[in-house]
Amino acid sequence: MSDRQDDVGATRESPERAKLKSASERPGFLPFHTNAFDRVFIGVVILIGIHLLWLRFMEPALPIEVATVISLVVGYVVVRRG
Amino acid sequence: MRNPRTGWLLLSPTLIILIIFGFMPFLYVLVVGFFDWNVFAAEDGMRFNGLGNYRRLVFDDLFLHSVGLTIRFAVFAIVSEVVLGFLLAQMLTRKFPGKSLFRIIHTFPLMIAPIAVGAIWRLLVIPGFGPVPFVLDRWFDFTYQIGTYPDQALATSVIMDVWHWTPFVTLTMLAGLSAIPREPVEQAKVDGANRLQVFWYVTLPFLRPVLLTTVFIRIMDAIRTVDEVWMLAGGGPGTRFTGIYIWRVTSPGASADWGYGSSISLITLYLTIVLCWLLFIAISGRRKGEVE
Repeated sequence: MSDRQDDVGATRESPERAKLKSASERPGFLPFHTNAFDRVFIGVVILIGIHLLWLRFMEPALPIEVATVISLVVGYVVVRRG
Repeated sequence: MRNPRTGWLLLSPTLIILIIFGFMPFLYVLVVGFFDWNVFAAEDGMRFNGLGNYRRLVFDDLFLHSVGLTIRFAVFAIVSEVVLGFLLAQMLTRKFPGKSLFRIIHTFPLMIAPIAVGAIWRLLVIPGFGPVPFVLDRWFDFTYQIGTYPDQALATSVIMDVWHWTPFVTLTMLAGLSAIPREPVEQAKVDGANRLQVFWYVTLPFLRPVLLTTVFIRIMDAIRTVDEVWMLAGGGPGTRFTGIYIWRVTSPGASADWGYGSSISLITLYLTIVLCWLLFIAISGRRKGEVE
């Protein structure tokens, strides 16, 4: 219960929590603020999306393992620099 | 109450129930999605299929059609409900004669079960029996048959959903509007802001959390709509008006093949999460350069 409520009922963050948040949130190439969980989540969403698109359009030409490698690389970049 | 251990202890019953009834079934569906498990197969039991179910899914024209249809249904219904709900909530913040009665009547559709809503609307739109096709034919010379034209079936389903769920949006918006403090609004008016500017720069930012929650609930509901739409049109004409879950429940391939059915459920969940997440980014103001 570290957050407090102001008069209008909106939750206001405590200074400790804001400090923690600013430590996990950092600027990256993604067009919105992200924390570590967001970036992992985006990585998983991209991984699933790439695999589904690969199954539909690319699999006759290239095996699915290529999609796995590409999505892992993209996921790593998003987690590290997103 | 500062001790985190006490907090975890108090949370543990909820967490245990969530893990048993939420997380474990999800994991089970995730695993089954990689298996071939048909109840009518000659061989009993599950056989590992890898990505076979998903491969079958991305080439399934009926599934892809149902995804497109569901998204169209959800977008039309939710946009209409949010706009109408906001306008009605604005109206209900003011005083007018019969306001209490209007508020009670307006929330009636919420109390009706979706299957009954479908039945009521079916009675309204059955050709040769319902008043809607009769009136449209007599007064406007317009042929209205949801059993023949898929666009009419979609439009009717959207209108039915709007009729059923707008009161919910109105109530949440009303709660959000009531929580907005008067001072910022009055301050903006004193500073010379017009009504549109007050709405855009004061009301809407205060309404954001309510708006997000409402839209999320409605997206999840609209994507898994089965009963009322099925009752209204029966997935027709033919198979041209089957949303994802109607198709999931009624298609023999999807309902007897549990592995395939699981993969459909997971992809639907994936679509729902992606849609909600994109909306969250768009509405919540987490974009760079915006003041939180």
